Amino acid sequence: MVTSETAAGPVPAIEVRDLTKRYRSSEVDALRGVSFTVDEGEIFALLGRNGAGKSTAVRILTTLLAPTAGSAAVVGMDVVQQAERVRRVIGTALQDAALDDLMTGHEHLVLAGRLAGLRRRRAAGRAQEVLEAFGLAAAADRIAGQYSGGMRRRLDVAMALVRRPRVLFLDEPTTGLDPQSRRALWALIRSLCDEGSTVFLTTQYLAEADELSNRVAIVHEGVIAAVGQPRELKDRWATTTLRVQVGGSEPGEMLRRGLADHPVSAGAEGWWVIGVPGGEPAIAAAVARLHAAGVAVERIAVDTPTLEDVFVGLTGTEIESGPASGDGAVTAVRKAMGLGTSR
Amino acid sequence: MTRAARADRASAGVLGQVGMLLVRNLREGTRNPVLAYGIPVVIPIAVLILVAKTLARVTDLPGFPTDNYAEWMTPPIVMLTGMTGVGYAATSLMIDIGSGFVDRLRLLDVKPASLLVSRVLFDVLRVLPAGIITLAVGAVLGTRVNEGARGILVLLALLALWAAAYGGLYFMVALGTRNAQAPIALAPLFLPLQFLSTQFAPEVLLPGWVKGASAWNPFTYMVDAARSLVTGPYSAELVAKAFAVGLVMLLVTQLSCRYLYSRAVGER
Repeated sequence: MVTSETAAGPVPAIEVRDLTKRYRSSEVDALRGVSFTVDEGEIFALLGRNGAGKSTAVRILTTLLAPTAGSAAVVGMDVVQQAERVRRVIGTALQDAALDDLMTGHEHLVLAGRLAGLRRRRAAGRAQEVLEAFGLAAAADRIAGQYSGGMRRRLDVAMALVRRPRVLFLDEPTTGLDPQSRRALWALIRSLCDEGSTVFLTTQYLAEADELSNRVAIVHEGVIAAVGQPRELKDRWATTTLRVQVGGSEPGEMLRRGLADHPVSAGAEGWWVIGVPGGEPAIAAAVARLHAAGVAVERIAVDTPTLEDVFVGLTGTEIESGPASGDGAVTAVRKAMGLGTSR
Repeated sequence: MTRAARADRASAGVLGQVGMLLVRNLREGTRNPVLAYGIPVVIPIAVLILVAKTLARVTDLPGFPTDNYAEWMTPPIVMLTGMTGVGYAATSLMIDIGSGFVDRLRLLDVKPASLLVSRVLFDVLRVLPAGIITLAVGAVLGTRVNEGARGILVLLALLALWAAAYGGLYFMVALGTRNAQAPIALAPLFLPLQFLSTQFAPEVLLPGWVKGASAWNPFTYMVDAARSLVTGPYSAELVAKAFAVGLVMLLVTQLSCRYLYSRAVGER
């Protein structure tokens, strides 16, 4: 991994300070004092609803748009004062695939390579290499107007990689893609990250932010509501729920005695629902306290919060539903306790 | 992918960018050949043949300087290609802006000047063959170029300048409205510019108000200079005036375009 350093230490891949943007045509700030940093080698997701300010942030960070106030730097270079230098180290795929319908895939990549300063033969070689990496070699000589949505998106991302960027910006890269193409793109993003690139992506898909990114920033109405690892955000901003079925004549009373500082309520089908602040690390302790209090736990289940719970908790609104997030979260506690599990 | 081989050098310079984008524009034109290369040729040739044949007896009017109307009409129709042939590039630019392709180019450090110049040159290169073919058709109809090969070269240079200058109006409308279809509304402008000039008849035969209007019509200067090169007699003053008018118009339109471009792509 290439790491930039100064006398003051490593330079973040992206550093944003009090970034504000107000469009001339609008009376509302698209971004309001946004601050965050992204370390080199990270996959960082900006999660938010449509119109939250995600694309504005990308356009400023990629030098396409000037901020109204605040500052932003990419690998230590100011995106306004040193825009040309910034452009040389980044790759960008904007929200809509930016293609010329009358150019072939190969022509797109050669043009990008040539404009980036590669010599003719090298640009052609690089184009071929990228086409193969993205599974587009067979369609290389077809015009982009004949490509499917997934192929267009892949070609667009491929163009962003012609220059071998240190920081890759992807604005809603998987919007409109089928699940297979989405997974393939996720795998590609992970491999880029493994090779040392930093990836900054925006998404409105919770699963994408959760599964793909090292850290997530939730943006709502132009403000960063929270930043952190998905697990940290869940632990901090949402409540893990412990569900139990217990024996005895007065189970509710026993549970409230055993976990006096936890909210306990009756659920459906004989389940009792206990809110456990502190996230998964606190679950084992809570279960141990129940045992210590003599509660006869017969069945146990844990519902870990999702990023959607975090999002709703922080913003008071739901985000558009995205692709299925997979299995959900069943913690190791059930296995460790050797108890029956149910969800 | 490793990072061993980053970009060979800094991004291509402005001239290199213009060359690469011009090649791209020309190649793209071959995939839309009727609009890109056909229309600029068809309209002027049709106008020349129709006008030269249907109005042939106009030369019988007292004071008409030639007895072959095709010879009289060929120079202005050559310059007319500079008006009927442009506009395609302005629409293409707006399509590029709308599709985000211009943003892609900006991210590759393409300068606004490179983008605009490559588009203007594209229009010029579409128009020049049309001008040459129109001249050839005029020759078939009996037109002789008074100033020979030198005259043809100067005529084509003037045509290139006129196409770039006049085409600038299309870019201004396109970028000002941010609408790829808007330049189409400008297409009929060549009609009043033709009739309010010395294209169809010498100045002595024009009504007074048309004479007055023609003095303010830049196309008049192109027509008069083209005639001095083709029909004669040659006038260095007329040619110099035409180049001066064309250059001023080019400067004004392109400076406006540079400003409007920044607005259109959200730089301002």
